[in-house]
Amino acid sequence: MTDGTATTTPRRRFSGAGSPWAPYVFVAPFVLLFIVFLIAPIGVAIVNSLFSRQSSGLGFGGSSIEFVGLTNFLRAFADRDFLAGFPRVLLYGAVQVPVMMAVAATLALLFDTALVKARRFFQFSVFLPYAVPSVIAALLWGFLYQPSVSPILQFFAGIGLDVNPLSPGIVLWSIANISLWSLIGINMIILFSALQSVPREMYEAARIDGASELRTALQIKLPMISPAILLTTLSSIIGTLQLFNEPQVLQTITSNIPSDYTPNMAIYAASTLGKDPHLASAMAVILGLATLVVSLLVLAANRRTTNRAADGI
Amino acid sequence: MTAQDRTRRPVFRVATAMTAGALALAGIAACSPEEGPRTSTEPVEVDFWGWVPGLEDLVTQWNDENPDIQVNFHRMTGDDGQKVEAAVDAGSGPDLVQLSTHDLPDYVISERVQDITEYVADDEDNYTPASWASVSFDGRVFGVPQGIGPAATMYRTDIFAEHEIEVPTTWEEYLDAARELQAADPERYIANLSPSEMGQWLQEIQQAESSWYGIDGDAWTVGVNDAGSQLVAQRWQTLLDEDLVTTEQMWTPEYWSLVNDGTIATISYAAWFPSILAENASGLSGDWAVAPLPTNAGSDNSGDSGGAAVVVLKNAENPAAAAEFASWLNGSDETQEALITVGGLFPSTQNGLASPALLQENEFYGGQVINEVFISSAENTPATWVEGPNFGFIQTTILDEFARVVNGEQTFLEALDVTQEAAVADLQARGLQVAE
Repeated sequence: MTDGTATTTPRRRFSGAGSPWAPYVFVAPFVLLFIVFLIAPIGVAIVNSLFSRQSSGLGFGGSSIEFVGLTNFLRAFADRDFLAGFPRVLLYGAVQVPVMMAVAATLALLFDTALVKARRFFQFSVFLPYAVPSVIAALLWGFLYQPSVSPILQFFAGIGLDVNPLSPGIVLWSIANISLWSLIGINMIILFSALQSVPREMYEAARIDGASELRTALQIKLPMISPAILLTTLSSIIGTLQLFNEPQVLQTITSNIPSDYTPNMAIYAASTLGKDPHLASAMAVILGLATLVVSLLVLAANRRTTNRAADGI
Repeated sequence: MTAQDRTRRPVFRVATAMTAGALALAGIAACSPEEGPRTSTEPVEVDFWGWVPGLEDLVTQWNDENPDIQVNFHRMTGDDGQKVEAAVDAGSGPDLVQLSTHDLPDYVISERVQDITEYVADDEDNYTPASWASVSFDGRVFGVPQGIGPAATMYRTDIFAEHEIEVPTTWEEYLDAARELQAADPERYIANLSPSEMGQWLQEIQQAESSWYGIDGDAWTVGVNDAGSQLVAQRWQTLLDEDLVTTEQMWTPEYWSLVNDGTIATISYAAWFPSILAENASGLSGDWAVAPLPTNAGSDNSGDSGGAAVVVLKNAENPAAAAEFASWLNGSDETQEALITVGGLFPSTQNGLASPALLQENEFYGGQVINEVFISSAENTPATWVEGPNFGFIQTTILDEFARVVNGEQTFLEALDVTQEAAVADLQARGLQVAE
């Protein structure tokens, strides 16, 4: 801000700006939707997780919804297949998120240099898959993953390579490939936008100091957009824990994805196929808490590294 | 393969629906429909969901003939069947729905269907005893049967002739034929063993007089790993261990390509399957025929993978009108031919079994009257199978375990034991009595 010298006319004040409730009016729509679509469902899930539909004998004499305390949580923790989904999605995330961020950041930095011709076209091409809903993306890739209908696999078979993207050990990475294809574009756009807001004078200064393009990218551009990198990383990790659409769709073409392959699929299976919404609510609460813990860990790790970086300066 | 647009968090959807259900149970939102004489000025509306081909025309016919009961039909696709329960619990959903009889006990126990005994009791004589038993619990009737699934074996006449292999009549002969075929041509397999297709397992264990459920006084018994199931498990294990079968997931493009390129020589499935095969392998017209399902030693039993029923859901305001339509749709003389020819149903009704429509020659199967095989299959299906409360749970669990078997992580017998244990625990968690 510049120091104001002689003021001219006093600025007209927005009528009502002085009233104490104005900010609340502006924030009300958000708060209302936030409560209705996030807080209330979480509350409902927590309440539901404490109840269970109980019958007796053969069950034909009617049933009642009864309070069972933490029984559903104990059942969820006793379900080895449900628990096995967590390390699976964490492993998936440990590979998929860094790869995605590295590719997205590299592309964003390339688009930010003057080296790239036809920038708009390439940006559009990278971003386009994000416009395809993930269910449709999984269907598309599902066809490319089946030997008899996939031109890609037929090409590999032609040169003597028998690849089966749906085999037990590989199917997880076939899923990762779909989400990479879908999500690199949006992350690239966010990082590119952040780069656009970096003052150009800094690059001038770097060039005068003799820094190469590469060094400028690594030591000036990336640190300058670290908040955007953190944001995209965090939302990618949360998305990873909630992995559902792609494996659920691929399940229709391979039996190597069981119904409880990821925690979210296990919840769906318990509620819809297993017909026990109360157990599913308990599982959902557990997944929510796990997501919260992982998010906090990422934030804490980030704070430590930025502090260290600040100390180093 | 159908695209299924799912919400990102079905959990919350279900949770919300459940609360509504809980509120309704608490009497907050519950309201009983007015039972009174209907005025002739306003027609009653009945919402009906079903999946059988050609239902649209039958509904139109009913609506023309019955101006006072108008039926709105919705064709079920994708995961519509899985939405019904949540919808009922939320106080909405259709009045009438078609569902697998395997799922009916669960609907009855969680009180999502209405007892329609008073409206359909007179229909009983027109239905096969087994199909009527599948909709009756505790002396009350909860639905109108709509078709059953007797099994037979569709086989490639040309392949069997080329390699001079006899069509097997027993499972022993079947294993020998499987080995002979592989020896004669490594590119060909006797069958595809799909780890994801419940019906093919069910028809064979039913043939072996197994049942997932039984009733012992006031308690359920669970028989996922009973003697009959173990017999089938050993047979499937042999086929798998000796590489006599492919293990592609059924219904995928990959599966149909195996059928069309002659990799698979036989498919054993229910009476509704031949028309689907003809549709998806039209180039092989005339190369297929239907034989009885191979039998176990010392028995003439055939098997069945289950039928469907039309049920009146809890929130239907006019159960009498809904039941009246269901009774006409499934049982009247006017509808049998359409259900058999257009719908591809194998009838559970006496007038349907007597219908000339059932005994048509089928061009795809070389002019064979294929339903003769399915009729004798239905006559030879043992009445040992009992429907029970957590079919959906067992199905999900056992198919997950079967997938691990096909990957070589465990055996079919181990898969049965794991599922048995999980099934018992699930029933007990619902407060039901289980006799171990």
